[in-house]
Amino acid sequence: MASAAGSTAPPIARGAMHGVAPLRAGQGVSFVLRRLHSLTGIIPVGAFLFEHILISNATAISGPAAYAKQVAFLGGLPLVFFLELFGIWLPIAFHALYGFYIWYRGEGNVISYPWTGNWMYTAQRWTGGIAFIYIFWHTYTMRFTGIDLHANPYASFGKVQNEVFQTPLFLFYVVGLIAASWHFAYGIWLFCAKWGIVSGEVARKRFLIVCICFFFLLSGVGLASLATFRSEPLQVVEPGTAAMVHHAAPHRKPVE
Amino acid sequence: MSTKSVLFKIKRQATPTSKPYWEEFELAHHPGMNVISSLMEIAANPVTRDGKQTTPITYDSNCLEEVCGSCAMLVNGRARMACSALIDNLEQPVKLEPFSKFPVIRDLAVDRSVIFENLKAVKAWVPIDGTYDLGPGPRLTQQEQEAAYPLSRCISCCCCMEVCPQFDEDTGFVGAATIAQVRLFNTHPTGQALKRDRLAALMGDGGIQECGYAQNCVEICPKDIPLTKSISEVGGAVMKQAIGDLFRR
Repeated sequence: MASAAGSTAPPIARGAMHGVAPLRAGQGVSFVLRRLHSLTGIIPVGAFLFEHILISNATAISGPAAYAKQVAFLGGLPLVFFLELFGIWLPIAFHALYGFYIWYRGEGNVISYPWTGNWMYTAQRWTGGIAFIYIFWHTYTMRFTGIDLHANPYASFGKVQNEVFQTPLFLFYVVGLIAASWHFAYGIWLFCAKWGIVSGEVARKRFLIVCICFFFLLSGVGLASLATFRSEPLQVVEPGTAAMVHHAAPHRKPVE
Repeated sequence: MSTKSVLFKIKRQATPTSKPYWEEFELAHHPGMNVISSLMEIAANPVTRDGKQTTPITYDSNCLEEVCGSCAMLVNGRARMACSALIDNLEQPVKLEPFSKFPVIRDLAVDRSVIFENLKAVKAWVPIDGTYDLGPGPRLTQQEQEAAYPLSRCISCCCCMEVCPQFDEDTGFVGAATIAQVRLFNTHPTGQALKRDRLAALMGDGGIQECGYAQNCVEICPKDIPLTKSISEVGGAVMKQAIGDLFRR
């Protein structure tokens, strides 16, 4: 092929022209980092998202008291700060920052080649970016500003309500929830495809349906929780006990 | 002769470093013409649409039946083999450009030697060289043959690499074709001897980990090679070896 320049001309040396470098067998650590990125998306980041939406925040559907109980349980876990640091914050930081690096190095071409898989490739980057902005803001406001929910779990419901009652923030919650849910659901599919767990054409297609169902489950339960926060009467956010929750939510008082 | 004519817009570049420019050509239409036969016609009479004398267009081609892999280029913005690109199926003007991710040598001819470097890096061959006759190799079952044959159809055209969003100078990704060849030679009973080396090579920088699973490769492949399945299968084998080595090496 290279001889097209002329059969007698010397071959053009690589490096004289730009071009994609050949495989660097035996060099570098990108394999470990990229696979670690892939793995952290499932464990612990994905596993946390599963717990956060389908277990913890789903308890909000049962009302402020149940929600407070769940927050108190999580806040009371032993060494909770280290669980947060090594189980959530550092893995998410790595997954997000390395993810942006992957995004930066790729060359999206969905306009020239608008196939479904290529759209999903693009969507995985955008949903990841949106989810990261949302998660950063959400962690900052919920964990590091305002009333400390580890010390005051009964203020949790109201603290969330204070944000969710503002329509722009509520919409931000919805966008963040859907972006994170899609990113995780399709991420599971990508993980299984890349790690050779689901490899065949038919199996991959079937598993994609499973992952899409999981997306609807995640975002559906998340939306139901958000709807509860918005429909319940606004709770008082102040240091207090379980009794205050009942005080602030008179309609939940048992009928006398 | 039919009065219908065909318009071409061709991106030209005199040397690897000079600035590209466009030239337009008009040919009389005749049934069954394809992009390569059109380029041959232009070579026979290299005159642009506005009557200017020019040079014949440089391009790679050989077999003219989509089995040699030489004539891959961008036809109307999409990577494909020019010889099987029938003019009657194309929108006009037919826009021809060289591959965008490979160094241009001249006009439509690009340097695709990176795929041969990659195939060498993963030892994409069956090791049978020696000083004595090794005798007949082990027999492949019908099932093994049927799995291997589609992979063996690869023509190294590099379409899968051109359309891959991960194949660029930043990643130096090896590309789907080479990964499929790893699968082919790793399933071959004699080729298996180099299985560990091949999988280890794919763990280097630019290896299989750079795949973003956009699946453009399998969509574009002119030979319908199961590229995404190969990436999954080889990806699994690479992980197995990587994790196994953690405990056993």
